[in-house]
Amino acid sequence: MVSKDLLSECRSLRVWPAMLLLGVVVAMMFAMQADLPPQQLRQIVGGLLWLTIFFAGTLALDRSFAAEREDGCWEGLLSYPVSPTCVYLAKLTVNVVALAALECVLIPLFAILTDLPLLAHPGPIIIVAILGNLGIAAVGTLLSAVASTGKQSSYLLPLLVLPMVIPLVLGAAEATRLAVEHDFGPSWWRWVELLGAFAIIFVTASIALFEFAVEE
Amino acid sequence: MSQTAEKHFFNDYLWHAVAAGMVTTAIAAIFLLAPMEETMGIAQRIVYLHVSVAWMGLAAFVLMAITSGMYLFRRDLAWDHWSRAALEIGWLCCSLTLATGSLWAHAAWNTWWTWDPRLTTAFVLWAMYSAALVLRSGVEDPHRRARMGAIVAIVGMLDVPLVIMATRWFRGIHPKSPHMEPTMRVVLLISVVCFTLFFTMLLLLRRSQLHIADMLEDLQAQAEA
Repeated sequence: MVSKDLLSECRSLRVWPAMLLLGVVVAMMFAMQADLPPQQLRQIVGGLLWLTIFFAGTLALDRSFAAEREDGCWEGLLSYPVSPTCVYLAKLTVNVVALAALECVLIPLFAILTDLPLLAHPGPIIIVAILGNLGIAAVGTLLSAVASTGKQSSYLLPLLVLPMVIPLVLGAAEATRLAVEHDFGPSWWRWVELLGAFAIIFVTASIALFEFAVEE
Repeated sequence: MSQTAEKHFFNDYLWHAVAAGMVTTAIAAIFLLAPMEETMGIAQRIVYLHVSVAWMGLAAFVLMAITSGMYLFRRDLAWDHWSRAALEIGWLCCSLTLATGSLWAHAAWNTWWTWDPRLTTAFVLWAMYSAALVLRSGVEDPHRRARMGAIVAIVGMLDVPLVIMATRWFRGIHPKSPHMEPTMRVVLLISVVCFTLFFTMLLLLRRSQLHIADMLEDLQAQAEA
């Protein structure tokens, strides 16, 4: 199912180009507005980066189930001889890959636009990115299934997901800021632990609740 | 008027009288019993309402999550009526919390808004309530609406401790346990009890209303069939 979704996206290029383009445009707008001295820019770069990732990533999250419904594949997906958990984990994986692709573009772009050492220590940034992706995708995939059942799915998803991921965006932004300041002490680990806890709680809860979300 | 209708009329009248009495008692205690605070003056009296609605906003969220879980477990729409009533009352209380908090903050801190942990948590709670209301308004089938609403309520409930933890790690300026005179504490207690009873009554009335609306829809469907 993962390869089906990735192959379908590679062939049709329906979502990823739009997602990357939106990410680049939002990053440019933020960088243009936040033309500040480096010391002040360090304080806000994490928040700007993660908000950009969230808003652009919502496009990919939204298409997880909306595309299946529009193309009449929903019944086929439900009649697949696998459990709803497998369907959820497959969609979650695709969304994590989409967000990772987005970050491969946005993190270097933010480093260039702000002239801050975002990539000076790639290890910690990668850890934050993996946990952040997992958290956003965990909540986003479940709520995408929920939102796709209503009449207002396109604008409902960000409305549902953003309040839920506020602790995650806050944690990822702070961990990124500390990484830029080369501060990997207890406060950095505290935020990473929060991201880890968020990912574990919501992957587990979403697996338990997904069955109810796709029930016809 | 039949005996049943008379009984309902009396019950409704009694409920409304009790609700009005509760609100009047709370307002009287706030304005007549509570002493004037030295530094903030009359603006301090907002606290009595603010604490009451903030507590109800959180309690309604917990009730919504529990009854949502019960709906998913039992598949009985009666549980969803509880959940929906809690959602609507919770949204009202959360909106009042933000409004009264903002008024108080302007008087105390000279700013309408600050990213204090508790304010941020209240805002996130309000955003979750609002999103759940919008979601419910877009789904017509009652069981599907109940299922989707229940998922959002449970996910939101799991999120609240993380929101509190994350926002607390930022520096907060919200008073944790402000010093209060004994009379002020008594007034706060009266206010919390009265407003809790008032909003509980609203919640019960709304739940009955939803239940009756559902029964009416069933009857209409039966009559059309």
